[in-house]
Amino acid sequence: MSITDLTSMGESQTQLRKEINERLSKLQAEISDYCYQCAKCTSGCEAHKLLELEPHKIVALTKRGLIDEMINSDVIWTCMSCFKCRERCPQKVAPVEILFALKNMAVATGKQIPGNYTAMLQSVLSTGLLQEIKSVSTKDNKTKTRSDLGLPEISKPTDPAKLMGTLSKIAVEKV
Amino acid sequence: MKYALYPGCVMPTEQYAYELSIREVLPKLEVELVDIKGFSCCGEPLKSVNQMLTLSLSARNLAIAEKQGLDVYSPCPMCHFSLRECKHILDNNKDMMDRINSMLASEDLSYKGTGELMHTVDLLHDVIGVEEIKKHVKNPLKDLKLATHYGCHLIRPSEIGRPVNSENPQKMEAVLVALGAKPLFYPEKLDCCGAPILANLPESSLTKTGQKLQAIQDQDFDAMVDVCPWCHKMFDSRQIKAGETVAAKLEIPVLYLTQLLGLAFGIKKEKLGLDLNISPVNKLNLG
Repeated sequence: MSITDLTSMGESQTQLRKEINERLSKLQAEISDYCYQCAKCTSGCEAHKLLELEPHKIVALTKRGLIDEMINSDVIWTCMSCFKCRERCPQKVAPVEILFALKNMAVATGKQIPGNYTAMLQSVLSTGLLQEIKSVSTKDNKTKTRSDLGLPEISKPTDPAKLMGTLSKIAVEKV
Repeated sequence: MKYALYPGCVMPTEQYAYELSIREVLPKLEVELVDIKGFSCCGEPLKSVNQMLTLSLSARNLAIAEKQGLDVYSPCPMCHFSLRECKHILDNNKDMMDRINSMLASEDLSYKGTGELMHTVDLLHDVIGVEEIKKHVKNPLKDLKLATHYGCHLIRPSEIGRPVNSENPQKMEAVLVALGAKPLFYPEKLDCCGAPILANLPESSLTKTGQKLQAIQDQDFDAMVDVCPWCHKMFDSRQIKAGETVAAKLEIPVLYLTQLLGLAFGIKKEKLGLDLNISPVNKLNLG
């Protein structure tokens, strides 16, 4: 099972897309009932000042069903998932969760995954951990490993192939 | 007190100072940390890619700890968040729990929801308690003016249950006061470190880091204290680069809360990984 299974546009993604669509429809229904565009989410948004993310507009666009437009836009990838919008919304709408669903949808429909996400995904699927164990430098430029520092062996999946079998089922579950 | 230490990925692959100081300090406070084989990533960094993947990975790790009959201590707020959210979802959705468990079955695991979940801050403040910590202080951190940083994933969203108050977290402050230090409020206290977009927007990510550090430097703090390996990676390891993005020379010592506890307890700084901090911690003349 390789990374293409998770990211390709192949038929295998139909079920996954269906599920994310259901998630989005559910979120859309909640929003339509509750969001009144007060923009409290945007006023606290960590990505707003720097990257012009406006969560209240994401909510408004979702309400109008402009899903394709958003999953084709880079702006959904600027969210820092700080959860301030979800915490502070007076109506218990969670723009951050809409953004997660939109990003998942972008990936499931074969849009390119930006930046290092692909490498991170690859690493988790092959070793179970996000990255390799690194050696570090001390202030006086000595290189140290985990064992140099007296730390025990790292906890990681004993059978990564088995884990990967489990994980790949999620993305291509009903192939 | 006995907990399964769930290390996550970032701490045990590069943020060794946090792990070293945890393993030094917590046993002194009668906390027994149990290392369990077989844990994996919590899945949180991949939530943008596939949320089901995140949920399954978190459930898997919780199931491993449950199998040993142990509560989980997760020092990383990202992992803590992910595991807590997983508990929140599965404990309230039987269908999802069954679905996830059918996947975990191939590794002979099953999530039941029996275990508890702790982070460094609530372990220190709620379980061990400030009075007990005070008893161990040998070298008080005399009036050290400190800026705390909790990390977004530790404080929000309160809906799923977080260890500290979402708008005015004070537990780290209480612990630091017990050590003799002087934690003070600053307006940027709840600002994000920028790490979550490091994977795709590194420049903007570092700008967030730089802006917060600059604010702390401008307000004459002696040091910044954190409890998250992701945030620490930004504020400490990438401080010089972060300075470049805001055109400032940043010289703020950044330490893990557990490192400061160790120093106050009189533990040698080598044992607390202080020579692994990239930020200028030596100017504090501690330990």
